[in-house]
Amino acid sequence: MMQVTLLVNGEERRLSAEPLTPLLDVLRDTLHLTGAKPVCREGFCGACMVLLDGAPAVACLTPVALADGRSVETVEGLGTAETPSPVQRALEEHEAVQCGMCFPGMVVTLTHLTRPGNCAPTRDAVKAGLVGNLCRCTGYERIVDAALAVMEDGR
Amino acid sequence: MQGLAPPPVAVPRTLPEALAALSAAGDGAAPLAGGTWIMRAPIRHEAHAPAYVALGRIAELRRIDVADDEVAIGAAVTHAELAKALSPFSDLAALAAAAAGSANPAVRNAATIGGNLCARGFPAADLVPALLCLDAVVEIAEAAAPAGSRRLPVEAFLADPAATGGGRIVTRIVLKRSGLRSVHVRLPLRKAGDYPVAIVSAAIGVGGGGRVESARIAVGSVEAAPRRWTGLEGAINGERLDPARIAALAASLAPEFSGRDGVEAPGWYRVRVLPTLVGRAIAALAAAA
Repeated sequence: MMQVTLLVNGEERRLSAEPLTPLLDVLRDTLHLTGAKPVCREGFCGACMVLLDGAPAVACLTPVALADGRSVETVEGLGTAETPSPVQRALEEHEAVQCGMCFPGMVVTLTHLTRPGNCAPTRDAVKAGLVGNLCRCTGYERIVDAALAVMEDGR
Repeated sequence: MQGLAPPPVAVPRTLPEALAALSAAGDGAAPLAGGTWIMRAPIRHEAHAPAYVALGRIAELRRIDVADDEVAIGAAVTHAELAKALSPFSDLAALAAAAAGSANPAVRNAATIGGNLCARGFPAADLVPALLCLDAVVEIAEAAAPAGSRRLPVEAFLADPAATGGGRIVTRIVLKRSGLRSVHVRLPLRKAGDYPVAIVSAAIGVGGGGRVESARIAVGSVEAAPRRWTGLEGAINGERLDPARIAALAASLAPEFSGRDGVEAPGWYRVRVLPTLVGRAIAALAAAA
């Protein structure tokens, strides 16, 4: 076992885990943050997306040993029902919210894409940024609309 | 494997510490870079190494040194970092495009160039054919030898199963600035995000008469391991950059490949699309001329 310190949504969490444990399992089973979903566990689907030091990471393929001492942002840290984040508000306004399988990961990736300097405010760039977030409902267009709306507001 | 203890992971801060940790961990211990390949060992029904030594916190393995005559890339540089750093260099365009287009953004933030080279058994690696066409040199360190003392051309590195393991760590990948134009063309079945069915990387020198003077062409994802296509390299010598003509030459030589069957595509399809990808590569090079 290895002692690990994670800065999870701004809060320092210390825990012990086997070092190759996927960060996803530590978040869900040890810290009880179940927003990141275990879906493909192969890095293809993006349902487990978190931000590691601000950059999108697939928590299923991230050994917790490599996250030690780093900042982890999960969907739980991005907003609340009372005070949604700009991305969450835009997704609601564009009626883009779909089933809960891919969506937490979508919100995390879009949070990164809509932060300044990370993505050009164009449809193609947003789609390229979402390559690693698979939606089986196939409703990407309104998600892209919502992301572009956040980017427009931010300028 | 059941019954075995979960492997420990050392997280050293320097290369000497990493080499010492790898030696101390004993036979079979392996370096761990981004983890995107090793973390899927259980899915491939492969056993984990008995111990790992992580490379991601070692500053010297995360550097990219650009000089007039060569570019040296630390083994722990990620695909995302590589794509960004190489974007200004047209002679290294094949590697920049391979790094920018592989997998998906989150995997590119984790997966490293050293990991891509050392993931033996991964036929669809994007960086490997690009490194083949750019004639990369792989630097390897071991506890008994200082970093950089052992250098292998990438083809020799790939051909030698003993090049990794045994306490060795790939430290840098060095690319000569050839001045040739290079290109990386891939065919995923979706627009992006899945493994390419076939990959063609090429670095081609064209003489004053517009005819090919030198060519290095590599093919990935078609067979079990990426390799040079020396037959085509020889056949296009002296040809103009005419995509249709060179694709026809590729079609006549393609039967030398025996395609691998896989979930994305059967083997015959991978071979069948090769001439088209060669044509696209030549068209891209001609357009950049």
